[in-house]
Amino acid sequence: MEVYSLIVRNQELFRLVYTLLIGIACFAIVVRTNRLFRLSFHQGIRYFRNAFFFYGLAFLIRYPLGESYFLIYKIIPSFITKALFEFFLIMGGFSLLYSLLWKKLETEKGSLSSLFNAKIALFYALALVIVGLDYLWKTYYLMFASQIILFGYASTISYLIYIKSENQQNFLKLYLVVMILNLIAWLSNFVVAVFFNWHQGGIISIHILNVIIFLLFLYSVVKATK
Amino acid sequence: MAKKRERLDVIKDILMAVRENRSIKPTRLLYASNLSPQMFKDYINELINKNFLKLDVDEEEKKTFSLTKKGNDFLEEYRVIENFVKSFGL
Repeated sequence: MEVYSLIVRNQELFRLVYTLLIGIACFAIVVRTNRLFRLSFHQGIRYFRNAFFFYGLAFLIRYPLGESYFLIYKIIPSFITKALFEFFLIMGGFSLLYSLLWKKLETEKGSLSSLFNAKIALFYALALVIVGLDYLWKTYYLMFASQIILFGYASTISYLIYIKSENQQNFLKLYLVVMILNLIAWLSNFVVAVFFNWHQGGIISIHILNVIIFLLFLYSVVKATK
Repeated sequence: MAKKRERLDVIKDILMAVRENRSIKPTRLLYASNLSPQMFKDYINELINKNFLKLDVDEEEKKTFSLTKKGNDFLEEYRVIENFVKSFGL
Protein backbone atom coordinates (compact mmCIF):
# COMPACT_ATOMS: atom_id res chain seq x y z
CA MET A 1 0.00 0.00 0.00
CA GLU A 2 1.21 3.51 -0.86
CA VAL A 3 0.89 4.86 2.68
CA TYR A 4 2.89 2.00 4.16
CA SER A 5 5.61 2.35 1.49
CA LEU A 6 5.84 6.05 2.26
CA ILE A 7 6.15 5.34 5.97
CA VAL A 8 8.81 2.64 5.43
CA ARG A 9 10.85 5.05 3.29
CA ASN A 10 10.64 7.69 6.05
CA GLN A 11 10.96 5.43 9.05
CA GLU A 12 12.93 7.75 11.28
CA LEU A 13 10.54 10.64 10.69
CA PHE A 14 7.57 8.35 11.30
CA ARG A 15 9.08 7.14 14.59
CA LEU A 16 9.76 10.71 15.67
CA VAL A 17 6.18 11.80 14.91
CA TYR A 18 4.82 8.65 16.57
CA THR A 19 6.88 9.27 19.72
CA LEU A 20 6.02 12.96 19.84
CA LEU A 21 2.29 12.29 19.56
CA ILE A 22 2.33 9.67 22.31
CA GLY A 23 4.76 11.68 24.45
CA ILE A 24 2.65 14.84 24.24
CA ALA A 25 -0.52 12.86 24.99
CA CYS A 26 1.10 11.27 28.06
CA PHE A 27 2.49 14.60 29.25
CA ALA A 28 -0.90 16.29 28.93
CA ILE A 29 -2.60 13.43 30.80
CA VAL A 30 -0.02 13.56 33.62
CA VAL A 31 -0.38 17.33 33.98
CA ARG A 32 -4.20 17.23 34.08
CA THR A 33 -4.46 14.27 36.43
CA ASN A 34 -1.70 15.56 38.70
CA ARG A 35 -3.71 18.72 39.27
CA LEU A 36 -6.72 16.63 40.28
CA PHE A 37 -4.58 14.45 42.50
CA ARG A 38 -2.99 17.45 44.28
CA LEU A 39 -6.49 18.67 45.13
CA SER A 40 -8.10 15.38 46.10
CA PHE A 41 -5.23 13.00 47.08
CA HIS A 42 -7.37 10.27 45.52
CA GLN A 43 -5.22 7.14 45.15
CA GLY A 44 -6.95 5.92 41.99
CA ILE A 45 -6.15 9.21 40.24
CA ARG A 46 -2.58 8.92 41.54
CA TYR A 47 -1.97 5.51 39.99
CA PHE A 48 -3.74 6.50 36.79
CA ARG A 49 -1.37 9.48 36.55
CA ASN A 50 1.65 7.25 37.26
CA ALA A 51 0.66 4.91 34.42
CA PHE A 52 1.05 7.70 31.88
CA PHE A 53 4.21 8.94 33.55
CA PHE A 54 5.71 5.50 32.94
CA TYR A 55 4.35 5.30 29.38
CA GLY A 56 5.76 8.74 28.59
CA LEU A 57 9.17 7.74 29.96
CA ALA A 58 9.10 4.49 27.97
CA PHE A 59 8.52 6.21 24.64
CA LEU A 60 10.93 9.04 25.39
CA ILE A 61 13.69 6.54 26.15
CA ARG A 62 12.99 4.14 23.31
CA TYR A 63 12.77 6.45 20.38
CA PRO A 64 14.36 9.90 20.87
CA LEU A 65 17.07 8.61 23.20
CA GLY A 66 17.48 5.24 21.56
CA GLU A 67 17.77 6.29 17.94
CA SER A 68 21.01 7.04 16.18
CA TYR A 69 20.22 10.63 15.32
CA PHE A 70 20.64 11.62 18.94
CA LEU A 71 24.11 11.90 20.44
CA ILE A 72 23.03 10.05 23.57
CA TYR A 73 22.73 6.87 21.51
CA LYS A 74 26.51 6.77 21.38
CA ILE A 75 26.74 6.96 25.18
CA ILE A 76 23.94 4.60 26.23
CA PRO A 77 24.08 1.14 24.61
CA SER A 78 20.92 0.18 22.76
CA PHE A 79 20.26 -2.88 24.91
CA ILE A 80 19.88 -0.56 27.93
CA THR A 81 17.42 1.75 26.17
CA LYS A 82 15.44 -1.30 25.00
CA ALA A 83 15.42 -2.77 28.53
CA LEU A 84 14.32 0.56 30.03
CA PHE A 85 11.63 0.89 27.38
CA GLU A 86 10.29 -2.55 28.19
CA PHE A 87 10.51 -1.89 31.95
CA PHE A 88 8.58 1.37 31.85
CA LEU A 89 6.04 -0.02 29.40
CA ILE A 90 5.32 -2.93 31.76
CA MET A 91 5.13 -0.58 34.74
CA GLY A 92 2.68 1.62 32.81
CA GLY A 93 0.41 -1.38 32.33
CA PHE A 94 0.72 -2.43 35.99
CA SER A 95 -0.09 1.09 37.19
CA LEU A 96 -3.14 1.33 34.93
CA LEU A 97 -4.45 -1.98 36.25
CA TYR A 98 -3.66 -1.00 39.85
CA SER A 99 -5.63 2.24 39.42
CA LEU A 100 -8.71 0.01 38.98
CA LEU A 101 -7.84 -2.36 41.84
CA TRP A 102 -6.26 -0.15 44.52
CA LYS A 103 -9.40 0.04 46.68
CA LYS A 104 -9.26 -3.69 47.35
CA LEU A 105 -5.58 -3.50 48.32
CA GLU A 106 -5.05 -0.17 50.11
CA THR A 107 -6.75 2.19 52.49
CA GLU A 108 -8.19 5.38 51.01
CA LYS A 109 -5.43 7.40 52.65
CA GLY A 110 -2.79 5.52 50.64
CA SER A 111 0.98 5.53 51.10
CA LEU A 112 3.33 8.47 51.30
CA SER A 113 4.85 7.66 47.92
CA SER A 114 3.08 5.94 45.06
CA LEU A 115 6.35 5.22 43.24
CA PHE A 116 8.17 3.71 46.23
CA ASN A 117 6.04 1.51 48.47
CA ALA A 118 5.77 -2.21 49.24
CA LYS A 119 3.04 -2.96 46.70
CA ILE A 120 4.66 -1.07 43.85
CA ALA A 121 7.98 -2.71 44.78
CA LEU A 122 6.35 -6.02 43.83
CA PHE A 123 5.48 -4.59 40.42
CA TYR A 124 9.03 -3.30 39.99
CA ALA A 125 10.40 -6.72 40.90
CA LEU A 126 8.04 -8.47 38.49
CA ALA A 127 8.87 -6.01 35.70
CA LEU A 128 12.61 -6.55 36.31
CA VAL A 129 12.16 -10.33 36.15
CA ILE A 130 10.22 -10.06 32.87
CA VAL A 131 12.80 -7.71 31.33
CA GLY A 132 15.70 -9.86 32.57
CA LEU A 133 14.27 -13.10 31.21
CA ASP A 134 13.31 -11.52 27.89
CA TYR A 135 16.88 -10.20 27.59
CA LEU A 136 18.38 -13.61 28.36
CA TRP A 137 16.08 -15.37 25.91
CA LYS A 138 16.44 -12.54 23.37
CA THR A 139 12.67 -12.25 22.89
CA TYR A 140 9.79 -10.03 24.01
CA TYR A 141 7.47 -12.98 24.68
CA LEU A 142 7.19 -12.52 28.44
CA MET A 143 6.41 -8.83 28.02
CA PHE A 144 3.70 -9.68 25.48
CA ALA A 145 2.26 -12.39 27.72
CA SER A 146 2.23 -10.17 30.82
CA GLN A 147 0.54 -7.28 29.02
CA ILE A 148 -2.02 -9.52 27.29
CA ILE A 149 -3.00 -11.03 30.64
CA LEU A 150 -2.99 -7.61 32.28
CA PHE A 151 -5.16 -5.91 29.67
CA GLY A 152 -7.44 -8.94 29.48
CA TYR A 153 -8.00 -8.54 33.23
CA ALA A 154 -8.30 -4.73 33.00
CA SER A 155 -10.87 -5.07 30.19
CA THR A 156 -12.87 -7.49 32.34
CA ILE A 157 -12.83 -5.11 35.31
CA SER A 158 -13.79 -2.17 33.07
CA TYR A 159 -16.66 -4.24 31.68
CA LEU A 160 -17.91 -5.11 35.18
CA ILE A 161 -17.71 -1.45 36.25
CA TYR A 162 -19.60 -0.46 33.10
CA ILE A 163 -22.48 -2.93 33.59
CA LYS A 164 -22.79 -2.10 37.33
CA SER A 165 -22.86 1.68 36.89
CA GLU A 166 -26.10 3.62 36.75
CA ASN A 167 -24.55 6.83 35.40
CA GLN A 168 -21.59 7.60 33.12
CA GLN A 169 -22.59 4.74 30.83
CA ASN A 170 -21.30 6.34 27.61
CA PHE A 171 -18.03 7.33 29.19
CA LEU A 172 -17.39 3.97 30.79
CA LYS A 173 -18.20 2.35 27.46
CA LEU A 174 -15.48 4.53 25.85
CA TYR A 175 -12.97 3.53 28.53
CA LEU A 176 -13.88 -0.13 28.05
CA VAL A 177 -13.29 0.25 24.31
CA VAL A 178 -9.85 1.80 24.97
CA MET A 179 -8.92 -1.10 27.27
CA ILE A 180 -10.02 -3.62 24.64
CA LEU A 181 -8.03 -1.77 21.96
CA ASN A 182 -4.98 -2.02 24.23
CA LEU A 183 -5.55 -5.77 24.48
CA ILE A 184 -5.89 -6.01 20.69
CA ALA A 185 -2.67 -4.01 20.25
CA TRP A 186 -0.72 -6.38 22.49
CA LEU A 187 -2.24 -9.47 20.88
CA SER A 188 -1.36 -8.06 17.46
CA ASN A 189 2.18 -7.33 18.64
CA PHE A 190 2.53 -10.95 19.69
CA VAL A 191 1.11 -12.31 16.44
CA VAL A 192 3.24 -10.05 14.23
CA ALA A 193 6.39 -10.90 16.21
CA VAL A 194 5.87 -14.65 16.45
CA PHE A 195 4.05 -15.59 13.25
CA PHE A 196 5.06 -12.84 10.82
CA ASN A 197 8.64 -12.24 11.96
CA TRP A 198 8.09 -8.56 12.81
CA HIS A 199 6.58 -7.80 9.40
CA GLN A 200 7.01 -4.06 8.77
CA GLY A 201 3.44 -3.49 7.62
CA GLY A 202 2.14 -5.18 10.77
CA ILE A 203 4.41 -3.13 13.02
CA ILE A 204 3.36 0.13 11.33
CA SER A 205 -0.31 -0.81 11.82
CA ILE A 206 0.34 -1.48 15.52
CA HIS A 207 2.12 1.88 15.87
CA ILE A 208 -0.89 3.62 14.31
CA LEU A 209 -3.19 1.73 16.67
CA ASN A 210 -1.02 2.80 19.63
CA VAL A 211 -1.32 6.45 18.60
CA ILE A 212 -5.09 6.07 18.37
CA ILE A 213 -5.19 4.46 21.83
CA PHE A 214 -3.18 7.24 23.50
CA LEU A 215 -5.15 9.96 21.74
CA LEU A 216 -8.36 8.27 22.94
CA PHE A 217 -6.95 8.24 26.48
CA LEU A 218 -6.17 11.94 26.14
CA TYR A 219 -9.62 12.68 24.74
CA SER A 220 -11.21 10.76 27.66
CA VAL A 221 -9.18 12.67 30.23
CA VAL A 222 -9.90 16.05 28.66
CA LYS A 223 -13.63 15.25 28.43
CA ALA A 224 -13.74 14.06 32.05
CA THR A 225 -11.90 17.13 33.36
CA LYS A 226 -13.87 19.81 31.49
CA MET B 1 -29.38 1.46 55.10
CA ALA B 2 -27.50 4.55 53.84
CA LYS B 3 -24.57 3.86 51.50
CA LYS B 4 -21.13 4.35 53.11
CA ARG B 5 -19.67 7.68 52.07
CA GLU B 6 -16.53 7.67 49.99
CA ARG B 7 -13.53 9.57 51.34
CA LEU B 8 -13.99 12.35 48.77
CA ASP B 9 -17.62 12.82 49.83
CA VAL B 10 -16.65 13.07 53.51
CA ILE B 11 -14.02 15.69 52.71
CA LYS B 12 -16.52 17.61 50.59
CA ASP B 13 -19.10 17.54 53.41
CA ILE B 14 -16.57 18.78 55.96
CA LEU B 15 -15.28 21.58 53.74
CA MET B 16 -18.83 22.61 52.72
CA ALA B 17 -19.81 22.88 56.39
CA VAL B 18 -16.80 25.12 57.03
CA ARG B 19 -17.49 27.27 53.96
CA GLU B 20 -21.17 27.73 54.84
CA ASN B 21 -20.18 29.04 58.28
CA ARG B 22 -17.04 30.94 57.20
CA SER B 23 -15.44 29.79 60.43
CA ILE B 24 -16.85 27.04 62.62
CA LYS B 25 -16.19 25.63 66.06
CA PRO B 26 -14.88 22.05 66.31
CA THR B 27 -17.97 20.68 68.04
CA ARG B 28 -20.34 22.14 65.47
CA LEU B 29 -18.17 20.78 62.67
CA LEU B 30 -18.14 17.34 64.30
CA TYR B 31 -21.96 17.26 64.27
CA ALA B 32 -22.13 18.62 60.74
CA SER B 33 -19.63 16.03 59.47
CA ASN B 34 -21.70 13.09 60.79
CA LEU B 35 -18.55 11.19 61.75
CA SER B 36 -17.42 9.41 64.89
CA PRO B 37 -15.08 11.53 67.03
CA GLN B 38 -12.07 9.37 66.13
CA MET B 39 -12.73 9.46 62.40
CA PHE B 40 -13.46 13.19 62.62
CA LYS B 41 -10.10 13.73 64.32
CA ASP B 42 -8.30 11.68 61.62
CA TYR B 43 -9.96 13.61 58.80
CA ILE B 44 -9.38 17.01 60.39
CA ASN B 45 -5.70 16.24 61.01
CA GLU B 46 -5.32 15.16 57.40
CA LEU B 47 -7.12 18.24 56.08
CA ILE B 48 -4.98 20.57 58.18
CA ASN B 49 -1.76 18.78 57.24
CA LYS B 50 -2.66 18.97 53.56
CA ASN B 51 -3.59 22.64 53.89
CA PHE B 52 -7.29 22.37 53.12
CA LEU B 53 -8.27 23.78 56.50
CA LYS B 54 -6.63 25.98 59.07
CA LEU B 55 -7.20 26.13 62.80
CA ASP B 56 -7.54 29.62 64.22
CA VAL B 57 -7.15 30.36 67.92
CA ASP B 58 -8.36 33.75 69.19
CA GLU B 59 -7.26 35.78 72.26
CA GLU B 60 -9.68 33.85 74.45
CA GLU B 61 -8.13 30.61 73.16
CA LYS B 62 -11.33 29.67 71.34
CA LYS B 63 -10.66 27.44 68.35
CA THR B 64 -12.38 27.67 64.99
CA PHE B 65 -11.75 26.13 61.60
CA SER B 66 -11.67 28.11 58.40
CA LEU B 67 -11.15 27.23 54.76
CA THR B 68 -7.84 27.81 52.99
CA LYS B 69 -7.56 28.67 49.30
CA LYS B 70 -6.74 25.02 48.61
CA GLY B 71 -9.87 23.95 50.45
CA ASN B 72 -11.89 26.39 48.40
CA ASP B 73 -10.27 25.11 45.18
CA PHE B 74 -11.22 21.57 46.15
CA LEU B 75 -14.87 22.55 46.50
CA GLU B 76 -14.79 24.39 43.17
CA GLU B 77 -13.28 21.33 41.47
CA TYR B 78 -15.19 18.68 43.43
CA ARG B 79 -17.63 17.94 40.62
CA VAL B 80 -14.74 17.54 38.17
CA ILE B 81 -12.86 15.22 40.55
CA GLU B 82 -15.96 13.15 41.29
CA ASN B 83 -16.80 12.98 37.58
CA PHE B 84 -13.25 11.86 36.73
CA VAL B 85 -13.20 9.12 39.36
CA LYS B 86 -16.60 7.77 38.31
CA SER B 87 -15.82 8.07 34.58
CA PHE B 88 -12.73 5.88 34.84
CA GLY B 89 -14.01 3.59 37.58
CA LEU B 90 -11.04 4.50 39.81
